[in-house]
Amino acid sequence: MDDIQAVNALVRRCVTGDAAAWQEIVQQYHRRIYNLCYRFSGSPDDAADLTQEVFIKMYRTLSTFDTTRASFMTWVTTVTRNLLVDHFRKGKYDRITDSLEATPGNQDDGLSLAEKLEDHSAGPEARMRSQEAQKLVHQALRKLSPELREAVILRDLQDMDYKDIALVLKVPEGTVKSRINRGRTELARLLQRSYRQVS
Amino acid sequence: MRSENQSEMQCVECEGLLAEAIDGGLHGTTLAAFEAHQQSCPACRTMVEEATAGLHWLKGLDEVEPPRHLVHNILAQTIGALPSEHAVVSPRGEGWLDKVKGRLAPIFAPVATPRFAMSFGMAFFSITLLLSIAGLHLSDLRRLDLSSKGIAKTYSSTQARVIRYYDNLRLVYEIESRVRDLRRVAAPEKQQPEEPAPKTQPKSDNQQDKNRTNQNYSRDANQPELAASPAGNEPGMKDLTNQARLNRRIA
Ligand SMILES: [Zn+2]
Repeated sequence: MDDIQAVNALVRRCVTGDAAAWQEIVQQYHRRIYNLCYRFSGSPDDAADLTQEVFIKMYRTLSTFDTTRASFMTWVTTVTRNLLVDHFRKGKYDRITDSLEATPGNQDDGLSLAEKLEDHSAGPEARMRSQEAQKLVHQALRKLSPELREAVILRDLQDMDYKDIALVLKVPEGTVKSRINRGRTELARLLQRSYRQVS
Repeated sequence: MRSENQSEMQCVECEGLLAEAIDGGLHGTTLAAFEAHQQSCPACRTMVEEATAGLHWLKGLDEVEPPRHLVHNILAQTIGALPSEHAVVSPRGEGWLDKVKGRLAPIFAPVATPRFAMSFGMAFFSITLLLSIAGLHLSDLRRLDLSSKGIAKTYSSTQARVIRYYDNLRLVYEIESRVRDLRRVAAPEKQQPEEPAPKTQPKSDNQQDKNRTNQNYSRDANQPELAASPAGNEPGMKDLTNQARLNRRIA
């Protein structure tokens, strides 16, 4: 694949001290890493700090990236995930404060949770509802256990395949699929439960 | 082989295939066996429904925008330098174009992100609006993909961004020169290049004319009064003084 070759060439230039190549890598990957950190930690500030840490770590360890073992994307995701696990173990991002159940009650727009969750059409009103739905889903995601959360984030938000997720998480593919199933199901139940409470 | 007898698929097996089934990775006989099991097993059917709902909600989550200075901060903390585009300075213009370019400036900043691309899009949207009000038609604007996704895509690589930067810069110059042309056409006699381009919008012009004529009318209406009093009084005054002299003589 051309893309993979191009990225590998970029990494090689980086290792030889090419600042422009590093800049290119930062440009290409910061959104993805930031989003992974944001969805996992739940906080934009934590996500920004974590993303910076990830790049500092990447910059120092770039020479250890082995093109024969995994794609650069997988390597980058592994570095990010390991950092997230470290921080989670330290209890840094284990402070889920807002309750999902409490959220719909705060809204005065008279919409049921189902209505908030349903929409995907255009129009400002629909977009507003969509934003509300995004908030609810984001909060529900934070209620999943870290194992299930990272599995569904990597699969459904970062579009990684089972094989690469297995490499990142260092578990068999069967375990990856099982976690994805449980993560999706549990998320649906969380949102469904609060929907029943509201309506 | 196993799928010859579809009823053989067990719940455990079904669960093992769930992720692939929902992700569209099942085909042929395996898919048929999976679907057959759904028909006969309410528990697995519920599981599929829930997992599908969970997937849809996750897929509904949009990518979020990283903070503006994230790339800048990362580079500062790693190579300790600012991005190379930082040196690019947008040239000076004149009039309202300065303001527009001021709004565009963030896009050319090192930390360019689609959020800024959006405001950039909005800025150009205002230009289009302004120019169409002014009766200008810019086919060039059609070439630009101003949708947030298009711009996000454009901004995904530095090279593309730089190319787009020069593209946009050229467009700014083009708009600028067309506005200058417009001024020349609209006001060929008046040698006032510093004034903003006159509006050719008919409604506002008519209104301005009406206002001007109204002002003139009111001036005309006042003038006779003001002119009448001294002109009418002077002979009267003379008459009065003459009359007084006459009275004195008589007396
Ligand atoms: Zn079953």
